[in-house]
Amino acid sequence: MNGLHDLGGIQGLGPVPREENEPIFRAEWEKRVFALMVSTLGGGAFNAGEFRHAVNERLNQSQYLTLNYYERWVQGIEMLLIEKGLITRDELETRFEKLAKEAD
Amino acid sequence: MRVVTPQVARQIIHHEGSARIDAEVVPRFSLDERVTVRNIHPCGHTRVPRYVRGKTGLIERDYGVFIFPDTSAHGKGNKPQHVYNVRFCAQELWGLAASERDFLYIDLWDDYMEPA
Repeated sequence: MNGLHDLGGIQGLGPVPREENEPIFRAEWEKRVFALMVSTLGGGAFNAGEFRHAVNERLNQSQYLTLNYYERWVQGIEMLLIEKGLITRDELETRFEKLAKEAD
Repeated sequence: MRVVTPQVARQIIHHEGSARIDAEVVPRFSLDERVTVRNIHPCGHTRVPRYVRGKTGLIERDYGVFIFPDTSAHGKGNKPQHVYNVRFCAQELWGLAASERDFLYIDLWDDYMEPA
């Protein structure tokens, strides 16, 4: 797909920031998302092509520019797990509500 | 689906990242052969960047046989094929304002290319 992930040749995005000692994870939740990828992609719920297609090309293209790396993984994994029938959108929403209440 | 225990997770992270596949496939291209990248714009998954489409380069290296992402991402099979490193002159990609001494090396699947 001709998506925004295919950045080669696009001008006006500024220099690529190079960070000294760049951390592997910037937040605790990102570690959980990495583990989620290992248990779903690694477990065989979907393959690497489906995963790349979901996290890069199939995302709403305005989201592609605003979400960070692991946020895109969450969106893509959710999309695929629902499509594969492993979870439902309702189950996900119910869980979000429960977690939001616990956080209050 | 297999159950991912901590031990299996370690195996996945350290040893299962590659799309290399054990299959006997005849390569369509040989080293130093001139190839032109097909000008394709598939609606589905692809790993051929826009800036090399329609451009001509040289086969630099043959890595062996890999799963083809364009079909495998859509349940259409692995379609095992060779992946090559292909060398493009910067001027071929970006015009005469680019340096004639700069080159771009990019990995491309067999199906993305035609003999030049």
